[in-house]
Amino acid sequence: MHSSKQLYNSSSLYLPFDCEIISIKNLTPAEKLFRLRRLDGAALGHLSGQFVQVSLLGWGEAPISVASSPTRDGYFELGVRRAGSLTGAMHQLQAGDIIGIRGPFGRPFDLAQLHRQDLLLISGGCGLAPMRSLIQYCEDRPEEFGQISVLYGAKNPEHALFKDDLAVWEASASFACSLTVDNISSGDCYSGNIGLITALIPPLSFDPAATIAVIVGPPVMYRAVIAELKKKELTSDRIVVSLERQMRCGVGKCGHCTIEHLYCCQDGPVFRLDEVEHLRGAL
Amino acid sequence: MKILTLDQLDQFFTRISETWELRLPVLLPDGTRAIAPFTSAPPALLGGAVPGKPTAAFFPQQASVFTVYDGALQEPQTPDRPLFIIGFTPRDLACLRFIDRFFADGWRDDIYFRQRQHAVVAGLSGLCGPNGAMIPPAGGDCDLEFFFDGSNWLVVPYSEAGQAIVASLPDSSSPKTLELFRQASAQPEDENEILIKRASELLQADRVPDSFWAEIGERCIACTGCNLACPTCTCFGVQDWRSARQTERSRMWDSCQLDGFMREASGHNPLGSEALRTRRRIHHKLAADPEKWGEISCFLCGRCDAVCPTGIGMVAVARELVTRFGLTESKYLVTGG
Repeated sequence: MHSSKQLYNSSSLYLPFDCEIISIKNLTPAEKLFRLRRLDGAALGHLSGQFVQVSLLGWGEAPISVASSPTRDGYFELGVRRAGSLTGAMHQLQAGDIIGIRGPFGRPFDLAQLHRQDLLLISGGCGLAPMRSLIQYCEDRPEEFGQISVLYGAKNPEHALFKDDLAVWEASASFACSLTVDNISSGDCYSGNIGLITALIPPLSFDPAATIAVIVGPPVMYRAVIAELKKKELTSDRIVVSLERQMRCGVGKCGHCTIEHLYCCQDGPVFRLDEVEHLRGAL
Repeated sequence: MKILTLDQLDQFFTRISETWELRLPVLLPDGTRAIAPFTSAPPALLGGAVPGKPTAAFFPQQASVFTVYDGALQEPQTPDRPLFIIGFTPRDLACLRFIDRFFADGWRDDIYFRQRQHAVVAGLSGLCGPNGAMIPPAGGDCDLEFFFDGSNWLVVPYSEAGQAIVASLPDSSSPKTLELFRQASAQPEDENEILIKRASELLQADRVPDSFWAEIGERCIACTGCNLACPTCTCFGVQDWRSARQTERSRMWDSCQLDGFMREASGHNPLGSEALRTRRRIHHKLAADPEKWGEISCFLCGRCDAVCPTGIGMVAVARELVTRFGLTESKYLVTGG
């Protein structure tokens, strides 16, 4: 993990490369999906679970998970919530605009660990963006996995990400897909589950010796979901989490993403639960 | 081993400055000392470690990443003349060795090595501590070492670059080698070294309660002096500076004692209290770094304890920690400790 690396031909590790925005899609009132390609024609070269540093001149950089699978050639996608100055500026961009990218960085999902296993892919809120990369991979390579269940929780129907994808996954014979929302407003046209994502777990029936659960979501979600999974006798080495931190460099130098001795940007963001559950502040 | 008389020192530095960008301890108008360019102020090699972090020569408070001027990208250039820097005490050299390893490991940090890779580093030791106190020789960790024997500077090269630089200097006729000085000045492990090791043990054994950090954190006024003075603190933020025709991206020192250090765009803050931030500052040096790097990353230079206005520098906290929760079975336990 710590061998010397040189990613770019650029003279600096910190110099972004140019990417063109191919298209922009509104996901929710606060989130957009940006489809990008490298201007030099090269592939991003990412793996599911990795992130990039998005660079906007004048605004700095922000870490964003890649939301598309490496199996989808010719582009990569980033789901971006308008949360700060950089993401606010990014939401003003148009197709054809150029942005900077560094990466991909971080430890991806361990496909060897997931191989031939039944998968519980559990995400909440923005966590569906990095999870979507893995779900797409599973769609494209179904022979590598057992049964796949997608569980997603959103604040309300309006804030659910990737509604088109969710509809496809719900209709797919390859997937079991369940969506829940915390609450609905009086005018919402929604007839699905209402309640926290933890409520989707007790009805599930799975073999804990042949199942891997992957969790990506807001910090408040992890402990509650893990508790439900452990009631089902899923052990910590069979639970995978992807942890959000404010990476400023992506290469293990700036110090903003440390979890005790681990650097989330290099040792993670994907961890097996047994690697981090004993560390202060990890979950 | 070579020798320089006090009269020869200025001539030596003048010669060095013809080839190198020479920085050394100087006396500032306010009576303090700092490592600065040779011609900026009178040299002041005596007096011990300088107050500022000496590793700032390679990891400065602000460093340019790139500049875009009128739409054209400009990367910072490698300096025309390599740096010759003198003024690192043996403890400072240990700090430099640590951050050299940190910036080289994994992704090699080109911004750090832009200045560091061709630099010559000279250590300072001997009877040049505060009030003429003995600073034991480093014996390595640098290109060459200047050791003050009370009258002259003995100069010992350790690297090829160091040997080339001192080749023209006269050999010392002193019968005392640096090793003899080291043996004469050898001391048993000092109290602070024992304290730090015992505090590290306690933290690694998770034997320090949250209430301790709440109490210590209450004293922090978030001045960030500890981080800004520490030679092994390497955290930085990234900022774009915009003007009419130019945008410069630079990185700047950051402090884990600040509320925004880990705050995420979502508002979530893994270090959301003074207690957690103070614990992080101490724990990182004494427990996290030993786990990752195999050694404590505080080398007891004393700067954080000197600058902290509320008395919660590294040694002060370690002392409180050991006093309250000291191990009885510590391998570093001393009689009566």
